[in-house]
Amino acid sequence: MHKFTIELLVANRYGVLNRITGLYTRRCFNIDSIHSYETAHPGQTRVLISSTGDEYIRTQMVRQLAKLYDVIEVTVHASETKPAMAQAEYRRR
Amino acid sequence: MKRTGAQIIIDQLCAQGVNTVFGYPGGAVLPLYDELYRNAHRIHHVITAHEQGAAHAADGYARVSGKTGVVIATSGPGATNLVTGIANAYLDSVPMVAITGNVAVPLLGRDSFQEVDIAGITQPVAKHNFVVREVEELEHILQEAFRIANSGRKGPVLVDVPKSVQTDACEFVASLPKKMADLKPLPDLTEALRAIRKSKKPYIYAGGGVIAAGAETELRALSERLSAPVGLSMMGLTALPGKYELNLGMCGMHGTYAATVAQAECDLMIALGVRFSDRATGNVKEYRKGCTIIHVDIDWAEMGKNVASPIELCGDVKAVLASLLQALPPMGNDAWLARIEELKQQDVFPASRDFAPQNIIETVNRFCQEDTVVATDVGQHQMWTMLYYRFMQPRTLLTSGGLGTMGYGLGAAIGGSMARGGQRTVLITSEGSFGMNLNELATAVSQELPILIVLLNNGVLGMVRQWQTMFFGERHSQSTLNRKTDFVALAKAFGAEGVAAADLKELEAALQQLPEKGPVVIDCRIDADEMVFPMVPPGGTAHNILTRRNPHA
Repeated sequence: MHKFTIELLVANRYGVLNRITGLYTRRCFNIDSIHSYETAHPGQTRVLISSTGDEYIRTQMVRQLAKLYDVIEVTVHASETKPAMAQAEYRRR
Repeated sequence: MKRTGAQIIIDQLCAQGVNTVFGYPGGAVLPLYDELYRNAHRIHHVITAHEQGAAHAADGYARVSGKTGVVIATSGPGATNLVTGIANAYLDSVPMVAITGNVAVPLLGRDSFQEVDIAGITQPVAKHNFVVREVEELEHILQEAFRIANSGRKGPVLVDVPKSVQTDACEFVASLPKKMADLKPLPDLTEALRAIRKSKKPYIYAGGGVIAAGAETELRALSERLSAPVGLSMMGLTALPGKYELNLGMCGMHGTYAATVAQAECDLMIALGVRFSDRATGNVKEYRKGCTIIHVDIDWAEMGKNVASPIELCGDVKAVLASLLQALPPMGNDAWLARIEELKQQDVFPASRDFAPQNIIETVNRFCQEDTVVATDVGQHQMWTMLYYRFMQPRTLLTSGGLGTMGYGLGAAIGGSMARGGQRTVLITSEGSFGMNLNELATAVSQELPILIVLLNNGVLGMVRQWQTMFFGERHSQSTLNRKTDFVALAKAFGAEGVAAADLKELEAALQQLPEKGPVVIDCRIDADEMVFPMVPPGGTAHNILTRRNPHA
């Protein structure tokens, strides 16, 4: 088990935060902390979610989140690395 | 030109090629139903007895036709009645668009009459859902809803349209739905090809994704090319003709003996369009042992979800198979093929008695065409259908796989029959499941659909009773119904035909005199202690397979 942060770029549409947290709940993933803010790009929001879990949970989280219609980009940060180091694992075409 | 929201919905349904919808009117969809009235020449609306039946009908329509099923319901209870049908379509990846009405936008959030947050309620059980706040965004949302429902891994999408959005008008120029090219690049096949070339005992596990992708031909070609036997998941059962010699039938908890043992003995499993449901794998660690797994699926999240470290080939099954086939020479291993033949020979279990489920289903099968659509409900009769009915063509089976919805079958059979222009459709059911949504008999009667309902009536909840007998010391808690329903009289009360059959002769006689129009119920009284075998007990492996009751007795 280790700590990591998932950074999401999402379209700021009806119920988007609800969809994300609902996904965590029903897949039995845990949220240690959650932070969400508007970006400079209108209509897009950034969400940072810190979790604790193993490789299975980490992989499943990324892939399940990538399926959400409102999710544009998914990036994972190991908690000790600087955010700029990480590459997006999913990017909507 | 100004168009109202209700008119835009009709225009968009027509633009999407929809000519049949299922639903039930109510206060919050009156403007939409007014437009349906005016457009009856373009869109045939089927009113069901209950919204759940409408949702299952749209689901059955979609499974048979491959098109997106459409269901309409009003706000509040109309919308909540759809939930089981939407969840059912979600678990089985069936393309569906559900349109619900809601209270007018100014009344939203005030606990208004018949107001529920149906988007919130269906969020975990739909692929996506939309709430339309302004009429200007309606057309785009509907286009997106149809695109999402019938692309990638298919599924249901709900669009909640408040009444005021249906009556509001905006400037509107109908635009054709954009065709989205599948941009997904083909995955790298190197590792998979190496594993296939190395394999001495390959086995193919194919599921609903093969049918969704229309990859039945490629599946058969791969099986022939590699001389690999195929075990099918319940959702994939019609992907290969029943008589194909390397088709071992269904695998899983109540899979065939041959499919279960072949899977356990293989050194390579090529899994195509499947999600490794617990009902298909049993003990997943044991299931995984001793074989390499190549997992081909359109859904990235399915790779490694239930079965650890497969070789991942994420993409359209048809496209991936086509490129695999290009790279693979004919292969074959006589010892493996001989073993498969041996397993097939051992996979014969005689019926317990003359009027046993096996014989009933095989008799019904003889009266069906190769393209006859067969629906089931959920329970023992469903498993017996999977084991004993020989499906010959894709999209001829309607059954609730992932959700296991008792009461699915009649609505689905109605939708399936409609998708085939009113062709005879069979529903194999039991009195427990049938009792849940038998009100849809009224729909089958009003639509004059020739639905043959074969009721395997044992007076008990058979699958519950079987588990109670096997795992709960024969304590049959609440599974003995004692209802005394006269199904022949009940069918007649609905305006349908009803016949009782006490033996195979009476069943055959009834099957020879089926009415041209309208449904018929054949009430077959079977023994309450009939059980489904083979069975791999929950969490078990092929070594635990039971082929009859009390194997140690």
